Amino acid sequence: MTGGSVHVRLPPVLRAVMGGRASLEGAGETVEGVLRVLASEYPALGLHLFDDAGNPRRNIICLHEGSLVRANDFSSWGVRPGDELILTNALAGG
Amino acid sequence: MSVTLVVGTPKGAAILQSDDRKSWREDFVLRGWPVTASVRDDSGRVYVAVNSPNYGVAIFTSEDFREWRQLPSAPRYRPEDRGNPEHHRIVSQMDFGGVLKEGGRFVDQIWTLHFAHGTLYAGVSEAGIFTSRDRGESWQPVDGFNEHPTRSSWVPGFGGLGAHTILTDAEDPERVWVGVSAAGFFRSDDGGRTWTPKNAGVNGDTGQCVHSVTHDPRNASTLYRQEHRGVHRSDDGGDTWTVIEDGLPVTELSDGHRCSFGFPSVMDRKSGNVFVVPLDGDNYRFPRDGKLAVYRTSNGRPWEPKTKGLPDNCFTAVLRGSMAADQLEPGGIYFGTASGTVFGSADCGESWTAIATGLPRITHVEAYAR
Repeated sequence: MTGGSVHVRLPPVLRAVMGGRASLEGAGETVEGVLRVLASEYPALGLHLFDDAGNPRRNIICLHEGSLVRANDFSSWGVRPGDELILTNALAGG
Repeated sequence: MSVTLVVGTPKGAAILQSDDRKSWREDFVLRGWPVTASVRDDSGRVYVAVNSPNYGVAIFTSEDFREWRQLPSAPRYRPEDRGNPEHHRIVSQMDFGGVLKEGGRFVDQIWTLHFAHGTLYAGVSEAGIFTSRDRGESWQPVDGFNEHPTRSSWVPGFGGLGAHTILTDAEDPERVWVGVSAAGFFRSDDGGRTWTPKNAGVNGDTGQCVHSVTHDPRNASTLYRQEHRGVHRSDDGGDTWTVIEDGLPVTELSDGHRCSFGFPSVMDRKSGNVFVVPLDGDNYRFPRDGKLAVYRTSNGRPWEPKTKGLPDNCFTAVLRGSMAADQLEPGGIYFGTASGTVFGSADCGESWTAIATGLPRITHVEAYAR
């Protein structure tokens, strides 16, 4: 983990997009800020993080240092260098 | 001579490969991604569409069916495009409200991929078509279709408002057909700038629930159409349609109309044979009395049931994109069921074998011969 960036852990299906990488490093002051930096750096990943209107996808959930953060709160939820974000999604049976 | 089948399911794609069309090797790729469509371009590269209620729509590509790379771009509407509230209501029931936004229009699924004349086409829901001239690296909306004057009359079917069929003319790159549930069938004669509904003889100008259409691109104006309300043929590029159900099982729909209901239709181009899989109407949506049967016709002859090797206790459906032909000689025909079995015939439908079982619900089958 790099001290000046946020460590972002990807769910298994998105690792296929990143050639098998399980985590990335991103900079930003909010969850959304970090995700936008990653989307800019990796456009293929960006398709999965933001919808056609450019908003965070509603079914993505983020675990930040033990707190669950929903997409509606990504833009206001602050993060600091060295934090870990775990991306996951709404789950269903079957 | 080898054949590779791409079998799309909500949990990934089965890749079935055979050198003799008798024994098949099986792999399962793109795990965790619903796989909804595939196509091969003139270089041999294969494109596979995925969609996720959580992570949206994307396209992966491969040269060998083993290593897959996601393309950096995918069909997307513009933020200002206005959507169909009824479509939103239907798809949001399936994805926790993930695409439901006030008034917006979103690509929530790629229903079909098509390649012709150097252009990749994608048919999507909410209904629209997009094209790429750079092998999928970038996509442009076909505004002449996506903003069609009849759009306000388009209504979603049970699976939403989706453009699921794209056909082209091998001789005329300006001529393109698109099928939309439930808006009907459209044709462009000017490369996609303008579109005309082509539903005369089916039921009104637009609003039809066309389920699938097939043809030979080298004889493009002869079209076979499996509609919600029966099987039709056109010999004039879709200008007029005639019911062709001689020999097909006919059943009563929920509105009382009697016809042959089903989803896929496929042509073996070398023989001209066309195949459909009738279901027992729109209430039951499984083969009549569970007796799974593929029906075949050619050159206007009555449809014949082809059942050798197929089960007679099959209470499941064969969905719209789940049947394909390998275009070899003799023709290989393949289809997958909603209960996860792939059947194949190496003798143009005369006999069938289950070549894969235990898969998730099958929503797409395409055959690639080498």
